[in-house]
Formats: sequence, structure tokens, C-alpha cells
Amino acid sequence: MDLTQATYARWLDIATRIGFVISLVAFFVYVSGAVEPLVPLEQLPRLWGLPASRFAALTGEPTGWGWLALLAKSDFLNLGAVALFGLVTLACYARIVPLLFAEGERLQACIALAQVLVLAAAVAGVFTGGR
Amino acid sequence: MEAAASVPWWVWPIALAAVGFVIGVVAVLAGIGGGVLFVPIVGSFFPFHLDFVRGAGLLFALAGTLAAGPQLLRSGMASLRLVMPLGLAGSICSVAGAIVGLNMAADLLQILLGVLVIAIAIVIWRTRGSEGAIVDPDALARLLKLEGRFTDPAAGTRVDWKTHRTLLGFVAFGAIGFLGGVFGLGAGFANVPALNLLMAAPLKVAVGSSALIISIINSSAAWVYIHRGAVLPLLVVPSILGVMLGSRIGAHLLETVPARVVRWLVIAAMLLAGARALLRGTGLWT
Repeated sequence: MDLTQATYARWLDIATRIGFVISLVAFFVYVSGAVEPLVPLEQLPRLWGLPASRFAALTGEPTGWGWLALLAKSDFLNLGAVALFGLVTLACYARIVPLLFAEGERLQACIALAQVLVLAAAVAGVFTGGR
Repeated sequence: MEAAASVPWWVWPIALAAVGFVIGVVAVLAGIGGGVLFVPIVGSFFPFHLDFVRGAGLLFALAGTLAAGPQLLRSGMASLRLVMPLGLAGSICSVAGAIVGLNMAADLLQILLGVLVIAIAIVIWRTRGSEGAIVDPDALARLLKLEGRFTDPAAGTRVDWKTHRTLLGFVAFGAIGFLGGVFGLGAGFANVPALNLLMAAPLKVAVGSSALIISIINSSAAWVYIHRGAVLPLLVVPSILGVMLGSRIGAHLLETVPARVVRWLVIAAMLLAGARALLRGTGLWT
């Protein structure tokens, strides 16, 4: 196995483990009621059958990155933890780009860089209007 | 739906963890991504709107493949060199698919999901793996160095492999990414035939690389769902925990359970869930 693949595997392993632990802790904080959510758990069964846009309109749930301001609420703390899984691949790719350039693998490095840009744009909300 | 709303909220996370567990066991045994079972089953038999089910399906498949990735890369069953260009094509198209999916009517989505899942069940039924000879790589494959070597512990041999039909591979992964984004599926069912039958990667490399491609494609599509408010943690986290546990049990059962039994179990489950989605979408059984 080459250095790039080994590095990617190591970063993937560590980042995924961190994501699982944080998600698990945040979920138990959420369902235990230790921290107040924006939408009370008892109200969810009346709302989760609605389309996401209608759910957001009725609950006042923000879209885009608006949820960052609500991390003190347990449901959004949980969303933040789940969203970490969406960052793992970005972190791994960002790590291997300089390695590929250093190894002289310019084409592969450019592909990895393009993937970093696509993922970063998705994370930033560019494709969803950045709401 | 009214009856479902009267059920206490805590029943659903427990049921999701149980379903995630069973899917985790079966998916490992059948060699498919769990998302293709999760979305039609949860979308058809649980009270959540399909927007939330598809968002959860993407994260469900993402978490499972992220967890499997390190071992697959270390064993050489997944090839980062093969995965990177195909994952890029797939992830760009998956974002487009996610945007299209979130703007479609739920009934139409249920119907299309039903048709797609039934079609996939037929593809799984008809498809056989291929361990063809070394192929002559095309110019693009040579440029991207889409080749490698892995040790097959079962056969005790080292296998050198190369791929071909690279351009068609890009088109296939673009289409797979788009469908995955629309329906929230991991699309492992399509990745493996595309890598194995179309591009001539060995079956084990195709299966291993497919998992890594899912983790890349779903990472971009998942953000569309997160930004649109289509991710309910109460739905996602128990499902992920269930599938993680189930996958571990499935990996242990791999040596003892006959593959043929599992294969037919998966096909039956998909036909049932696909038919249910069709009936729900057409309003015949809501």
C-alpha cells in the first residue's frame, strides 16, 4: 500500500471514530432531556410526516448554516454531531493533496483538489443557494 | 398516519435501531450497501416524510462505508487511485440529484423509488460477478494509472489488475451519483457491476472500492439535505448505531450463512418494499 492510501486510511479511521463517539454522546444528551431542544420530542410525531420545507416553516428551524446559532439546543447539537460525518471525506482528501503533489502525482493531486473544492462548496451550501 | 402519530415518540428510535441492525447484518452478508434497503423499507413502513428518510438514508450509507473504509484500504480491496476520479464524477452529479429530489413531489418520488427498487432487485437477481482476464487499458486509464495489485487471502494469490472503458465508467458513476442523490441511496448495487462488469476491476476490488466511492458521493449529497433541514437526528442516529452493530454481527456470520439464502432474502425484501412504495405513491395503500 502506498503512502497516500495509508495516510487516507489512517485519517479516515480516526475521524470516523471521533464522529461516532460525538454522535453517540450528543444523542443521549438529546433523548435524556438534559438539554432543552428547539422542537420538543413529544411534538415530533405530529411534524415528521411533513415535507422538510413545511417542517422548517412550522418549527422555525433555520436552513443553511443557521443551525450553528442553535447549538445550545439539544436537537441542533445532535445535528452538528451528525454533520461531522459529512466532513470526514473532506478532511481526508485535504490531507492527501499535498502528499500527492510531493510524490509528483500531479494529475491525481488535481483530481483530489477538485474533490476538495466540490465537497467544500457542498459544505458551504453553494449548491443549495447558501441559505 | 394518524395512528402512527399516537405512538409515543420513543418507540420509533428503538424500531429504527432494530431495522438498522437487521439491515446491517443482511447488507454485509449480501455484499450491498444498506441504503438501498433502508430507504424503501423505512420510507414505506415508517411515518416519516420521504425527505427525512432520504436524508437519513444518505447518512446511513455514509456512516457504514466510512467505518468500513480503513480496513478496505489497508487490505488493498479498495483502490484510492481507482476511486478518486470516479468519486469526483459521482459526487458532482449527486449534488444535482439531491437538489432535484428535494424539489419533486413525494408521491412521484415514492412511485419512482418503487420502480427503481424493483428494477434493482431484478439486477441483483440477474447479475453474476466476473473475474475476467487482464484487460488492455485505454489511454485515459493509462493516464490515470488505474491499476493495482492485491493479495487474495482466500485463494492465497496476488492479483494484478487493470481497468478499461474509463469514459463509460465516468458516465456510469455520474448517473449512479445522480440517482443516489435523488433517492438517498448508497448505490453500491450499481457501483459493483459498473466497476466489475464494465471496467473489468476484479470483483473484490470492485466491492471494496464501491464502499469508498459511496462515502465520497454521499458526503456531498448529504450537505444538500442538511442545508435544506431534511436531516432529523432522531431518525439518523439510532439507524446508524443499529447498522454499525448489525454490520459487525454480519461480518462474523459471513463464514456460516449460505450466500444464496441471503441473496434471495434481499431480493424478497426489496420487492416487498418496492411494491409498498409503489402502492403508497399511487395512493392505493397509504
